[in-house]
Amino acid sequence: MGRIVFAGAMSHVLDPDYYERACGAVGRKTVIDIMGEIGRMGERLSARKPDALIVVADDHLNAFSFNCVPAMCVRIGRSVQRMTQDHAEAFDKVLDHMPTEYPLHEALANAILEQGLQSGFDLALSWEAPVDHAFLSPVNTLHGARTIPPLVPIFVNAFVAPQPTARRCFAFGQHIARVVARSPWNVGIIATGGLSHFPELSLPRVGETDTVFDKRLIHWMEIGEHAPLQELTADELHKTGSHEFLNWMVLLGAVTPARAQVRYFGELARINMAAVEWTLA
Amino acid sequence: MSRYAVNSLLYRLKKDEAFRARFLEDANAALAGADLTEAERAAFVAHDMRKLNELGGYLHLVMSIPGLARH
Repeated sequence: MGRIVFAGAMSHVLDPDYYERACGAVGRKTVIDIMGEIGRMGERLSARKPDALIVVADDHLNAFSFNCVPAMCVRIGRSVQRMTQDHAEAFDKVLDHMPTEYPLHEALANAILEQGLQSGFDLALSWEAPVDHAFLSPVNTLHGARTIPPLVPIFVNAFVAPQPTARRCFAFGQHIARVVARSPWNVGIIATGGLSHFPELSLPRVGETDTVFDKRLIHWMEIGEHAPLQELTADELHKTGSHEFLNWMVLLGAVTPARAQVRYFGELARINMAAVEWTLA
Repeated sequence: MSRYAVNSLLYRLKKDEAFRARFLEDANAALAGADLTEAERAAFVAHDMRKLNELGGYLHLVMSIPGLARH
């Protein structure tokens, strides 16, 4: 019987240069500090020797554009490529130094997809979608020079309205937990993004965050109280800049009722940086 | 507003280096035939990413187009 052996969630632009440009010296220091914590989380992940690592993250209009934006999509196949961007700017530049190709855990991805469709989750699938910083910045920071286990990238549409509901994301996470339990594999799962930044996806509001809202989310995760999180509305997530918390909702469904331990929380003018790990039975 | 037209052009500007070069050389010519309102066309020609975001352009696109991004 398989089991989830590690669960963590973290912000996903992990680049000291980016945050120094955006927030000055305090930005650099904050991201270096959180990257240190995520590195230590990665040591615990690697120590549990996962057969696969599920990565729940969002696309930033890189893999999916205007031909199709799936609510939830399982990346299947044998390998996944890093998104490429000529003359990359901002968060895209984070990818520049990273390996270009990563192995996938084909059997687990297929199981999540096939059993999902049988269970009423109308998941999209992709053989070709590349992954951007939302996937690869945390994965590489967690592992450093160590070998990265085969990945199962899962895309959640966090930005293009209408997005899936928090409740649906949580239910999908519960589905993932059932698939893992029926499998022979030990699996790690991470969710990425957030916390509060870019409220209402408005350029004039870049630089604002909602720390009160973030502290509320963290409190519920720490006490393992997941019901109110499932009640979060698209409007609340949009207004507070918490769009990417949908990724975290998938992870919460997979590990519920486990309690979270905050490894790092740091406020920047641009974003609240967080790294959280769950205590699993 | 024509969100699709704005965003598909923003996406093309990000991902299509040759189109981006044509746009930077002569924005009016590059946009000829695009289904844009007057306000949208003016914002593109002025490289006004803030206005394009206000007109429905996705934030992550206006923040990441090489040479044009506002962040």
